[in-house]
Amino acid sequence: MASPQDRRQAGFRLSVLQYLLTVAFSVLAVSFWILQVVQHDKFEEMAANNHQRTLALRAPRGVLFDRDGRVLVENRHSYSISIVREHTKDLGRTVRLMASVLEIPEARVRDIVDRHRREPSYRPIVIVPDATLAQVAAVTARRLDFELPDVVVEEVPTRRYPVDALAAHLFGYVGEVSDAQVAGDTDLKSGDIVGQSGIERVYNNLLMGEDGARRVVVNSVGREIRTIDEIPPTEGRRLQLTIDYDLQKAIEDGFRASGGYNGAAVLMDPNSGEVLAFASVPAYDPNAFAAGIDRATWASLNTDESRPLQDRVIQGRYPAGSTFKMAVATAALEEGTVTSDFKVYCPGHATFFGRSFQCSLPNGRGHGLIDMREAIEHSCNVYFYTVGNMVGIDKIHKWATLLGLGEKTGIDLPNEVQGLVPSPGWKRERFHEKWYAGETISVSIGQGAVSLTPISEAVYISTMANGGTRVTPHLLKAVDEGSGWRAAPPPPPRSVVQLKPETLQALRDGMWRVVNAAGTGRNARLAGYDVSGKTGTAQVISLEGGRAAKGKSNRDLRDNGWFVFFAPRDNPQIAGVVFVEHGGHGGTTAAPIAKHALETFFSKREGRPLPVIKGLPALPADNDEPIGPPSGLEGPSELPAAGLTN
Amino acid sequence: MFERRLYFHIDWWLVIAIAALCALGVVMINSTTADPTRGSSRLFVTQIYAILLGLGALVFTLSFDYRTFTDKSHLIYLGLCLALVYVIFFGDVQMGARRWISLRGFNLQPSEFAKAGVALVLAKLFGESRGALGWPTLAIGGALTAIPILLIAREPDLGTAVTLLPVFLAVAYLAGMRMRILGIMALCLVVAAPIAWKFALKDYQKSRISTFIDPTQDAKGAGYQQIQARITVGSGGLTGKGFKQGTQGQLRFLPVAHNDFIFSVLAEEQGFLGVLVALGLYLFVIVRTLEAARLAKDRLGSYLVLGVLASFTFQVVYNITMSAGLAPVKGLTLPLMSYGGSSMIATLAAFGLVLNVRMRRFTN
Repeated sequence: MASPQDRRQAGFRLSVLQYLLTVAFSVLAVSFWILQVVQHDKFEEMAANNHQRTLALRAPRGVLFDRDGRVLVENRHSYSISIVREHTKDLGRTVRLMASVLEIPEARVRDIVDRHRREPSYRPIVIVPDATLAQVAAVTARRLDFELPDVVVEEVPTRRYPVDALAAHLFGYVGEVSDAQVAGDTDLKSGDIVGQSGIERVYNNLLMGEDGARRVVVNSVGREIRTIDEIPPTEGRRLQLTIDYDLQKAIEDGFRASGGYNGAAVLMDPNSGEVLAFASVPAYDPNAFAAGIDRATWASLNTDESRPLQDRVIQGRYPAGSTFKMAVATAALEEGTVTSDFKVYCPGHATFFGRSFQCSLPNGRGHGLIDMREAIEHSCNVYFYTVGNMVGIDKIHKWATLLGLGEKTGIDLPNEVQGLVPSPGWKRERFHEKWYAGETISVSIGQGAVSLTPISEAVYISTMANGGTRVTPHLLKAVDEGSGWRAAPPPPPRSVVQLKPETLQALRDGMWRVVNAAGTGRNARLAGYDVSGKTGTAQVISLEGGRAAKGKSNRDLRDNGWFVFFAPRDNPQIAGVVFVEHGGHGGTTAAPIAKHALETFFSKREGRPLPVIKGLPALPADNDEPIGPPSGLEGPSELPAAGLTN
Repeated sequence: MFERRLYFHIDWWLVIAIAALCALGVVMINSTTADPTRGSSRLFVTQIYAILLGLGALVFTLSFDYRTFTDKSHLIYLGLCLALVYVIFFGDVQMGARRWISLRGFNLQPSEFAKAGVALVLAKLFGESRGALGWPTLAIGGALTAIPILLIAREPDLGTAVTLLPVFLAVAYLAGMRMRILGIMALCLVVAAPIAWKFALKDYQKSRISTFIDPTQDAKGAGYQQIQARITVGSGGLTGKGFKQGTQGQLRFLPVAHNDFIFSVLAEEQGFLGVLVALGLYLFVIVRTLEAARLAKDRLGSYLVLGVLASFTFQVVYNITMSAGLAPVKGLTLPLMSYGGSSMIATLAAFGLVLNVRMRRFTN
């Protein structure tokens, strides 16, 4: 048997073992304490990230209504198909399978995935933004078979604009927020859909709403087990615009019936500055942007020579032509340089500072001895050369500015550009040259460096219609803050001058004659409504010079046509401008469009059936429910009383 | 053979601690394998059957004097080696390894029984050698350990194979092996490690070790389990998420939660307090077994107890360390708690031997 010495040694060795093992277990206990107690928060968060997924519930943007409560822009449901890479074992396989299931090129899927490679893996990468039902069904079936567990189908509200690109530039479009926008606004986060132009952009904060969220539990293969909680999204504010759907349509129909001219038009309430219609032709389809525009469409919109993305109303600058003559007349009458009875003999041309200037009639014919009213009626250049020369450039500039020309109007749309009414100060600053008196002669008939935006022309004619108040055109009529409609306060006028009654009378008489007597605007005549207006025809060739000569058709070289107008002559209710690019004489192309709009305006106000314009090309077949007359989504009773009558 | 008075010398505290660990295991298996979408799992019931069979084995190994077993240890050893050879050629393949002998719906894993077998044969070898421990005895003991290690490693089941090494080391240590020899062996290991890395280890084994050092380098593959193990344990906190309330185990972020990672799930659902209870029970079992070794009436008994304890302790410590994501992931189960019939029966049978030695300390 074991010797006592052996036993002692064995006992010692067992004690050593026991000691070591106790230490080992203590170390284990401390390790667990560090993991479970000290670092608990970190691991708890990691565990939550493992099994909890927060899915964004996108808030629908606010619905846009017209002034009568008709829905203009609303939302529809679309489905987006995305990859969530978090639990993807083989991304290549997912991409291949997805491409074949969705019947889209594999390279495109790979491209999209590559572009978002650096984003956190739990964020879905949208592969198909506006999937067809067939695609959704195909993916859903594969998901249930666990073939595509890392692919998700999400229902997202998507903007729906009118199918015929109605008022496209006015509404603007939405798109994914850019990095610069996120940096500039703390309310925005990457991936948000925000307004990128038009009303959508200006009132983005009101329209956007608040995204909700749904937290779900998923297992290790990404399958949803249950919902933990859900914060429903808050829809964006509903906005009522000053726009009148019927007038908007009338204006756009007018352009369509004109035979494919491009241009711009604005209808306004001259007393309040409310914009009733706002059109820039050609337009683009904002629906193409709503669910994420593809590169090809974007590229073609950008390279299109007719520049459909440009909002001609606020971003196009064009020589004003004869529409500018009222500014000269106003300056002369207000400054007391002449009275409206002041007569000038027009032999068909006139010589100033050794240079000969032509009048407006063909073949060098003259207007004879005429006063200011007749000069406006016949758009006599010689009369305004003479008066403009007498008044001088400084006063012309002063009064043109007071009437709203050459300034930004302050309309609630982004990226408005400023027109130009030249002055000696401008020339000095721009070219470091002194003003030559001969330039004043060209400016007097709206040529030379005069270049104006259609919106400023609309303000200009409104100022003459209302007697001197330079109203600020605006588009927002009322906002639904969630507790019913609240009228939006109209912006204050830019400036107010009281034009002398004689001045107003002379201008209005002259412009009435343009339409109702032997003038150039007879095409806009509406019996009984005393439409008053002024045509303008501005040369393009002289401005575009050599560029115009090569590679352009005859049509591209034709003059631009203007028609500014208001009605009725006394106590005007509506004012506006129609600008037709390369439309030739304003009286021929622009005036008929204005007439149709005015006829629509008065018919509607008096409860008569709306006029139908002739020569309208057949509309393409609707493939979607059109936004049309009362959709019945919202009863007009909810709208402020002011919105209903006009 | 079984004298009535022996009954009073059974270490009931050890039995209670073992039973408590088994019960804890059953509860955790029930928690991790319950799947509400597929109805309740039967795995924990199977485990209860295994425990009952194991208790039978325990009673069996308890009933005969342990010297009866050591006397026959050469036969037992031979039989086990034959079984291991049989497994290599005819065993059932599961998860890429031949480890099982299929017996009418019950899969027997001979490697689990090899631990006790080696402990028996080494106890006999060292216990009956006279005088100071010499090289020849050590060499024979080493060879007797090496044979089953190589056979099991061949299956391949490196994890179980390695658990036999502590049996030899512990018995030799207790038998008075000079510490210098232990030092030389440690030195050999250090020298052998790079060679083994280069020639002996398979790629999956290398990747397990390298991802242990930096789990994030392969967060989706081999490092995944280790990261998930740490998350599982750490998210448990002080008091745990509650029975069946764990997310890591329940939602299968942690693989084989009822088996290799059962301790992680315990840590997740029962928290640090649950961990302390389990650690305390294991330490109690170990200390109590060491005491049995100390109390044994002869060297043979001491060696046998320590041999049995060695593989058990090694597995417990390694598995718990791995459960916390603090050791490379190895397919080693946690004795007494993990799901697995062979392991349970073999472990309980081995503890039968421990109880046996202790209660017969007064007999002749």
